[in-house]
Amino acid sequence: MSRTEIDEGDFSLPIVLPELVVTPTHTQIFMFSAVTWNRHHIHYSRDAAIAEGLQDVVVQRALIGNYFVRLLTNWLRDSGEIKNISWKVLSSAVPNRKLRCQGVIASHESAAAADPGHLACEMTMINDAGETVATGRATVCIRDFS
Amino acid sequence: MNSTLPEAVQRAIGVTKKRRIEVTARDINRFAQAIGEMNPIHCDQDHARSSRYGGIVAPPLFCQTLTYEDASPDQLPADGSPLEIAVPVPAMRAVGGGSEYTIHRLVRAGDVIEIKSTLKDVHTKQGRSGLLYILVVETEFTDSDGRPVATELATYIKRA
Repeated sequence: MSRTEIDEGDFSLPIVLPELVVTPTHTQIFMFSAVTWNRHHIHYSRDAAIAEGLQDVVVQRALIGNYFVRLLTNWLRDSGEIKNISWKVLSSAVPNRKLRCQGVIASHESAAAADPGHLACEMTMINDAGETVATGRATVCIRDFS
Repeated sequence: MNSTLPEAVQRAIGVTKKRRIEVTARDINRFAQAIGEMNPIHCDQDHARSSRYGGIVAPPLFCQTLTYEDASPDQLPADGSPLEIAVPVPAMRAVGGGSEYTIHRLVRAGDVIEIKSTLKDVHTKQGRSGLLYILVVETEFTDSDGRPVATELATYIKRA
């Protein structure tokens, strides 16, 4: 079902966001390096990555952030926007390994208590071995919140 | 700042570099493809025109495409890592640590964005495999009217 806005009644906290599952590929990692003009060899040369003690080429820190953004925008659609987002990479993500991105909105953003449309979301990204690859936090602003 | 850092590193902290780049619809489309975002608001002019944005807008973290200098390969360190973290700490292997991103507005095709990049801090931390050097780079993105578009505080980790 296509949807452009969050359904009414979706705002009782906590809100568990629909999980986003992504599987980064060598091609996507290459494309992301290309559009960000990131020539760091750990993102395209498996030999170089292994020589640096990594398992394979690694998913960019910046791309990890975009997976969290997609988790949020898949839920927000046209109903709001991301005001800020932070994330921390805890272990390397590598190609062809599934990543599960999960998020929970448990509270209103305390720094913007005067505006109940600001919600705080806690996020985690877990690989197929159950290891936490990244954690994140975001503030989203819901338009016409009531 | 850590006074035990090499002098050249201490001198690099606080140095700001500025650039200006005009964003095209093609840049936005390519970035959306690279992150796997298929929303037509990023690539379909007709769809975007009828949306509340009235035209194509970029995904929230689009400014990541503007972060690194267009340095030629011979200017980069041997590992190809970005110039923004090319400071002479006694550790060569770099990985991304994390990011704090503030989004003031979405980028549109035709925006001219000024990019101001500053190495804010370098400090050390004891890791499991030895001493880690933590580099913090701030990048501010403003539009041609001087209004903020986004700000990023990115952390990189270098180890021996």
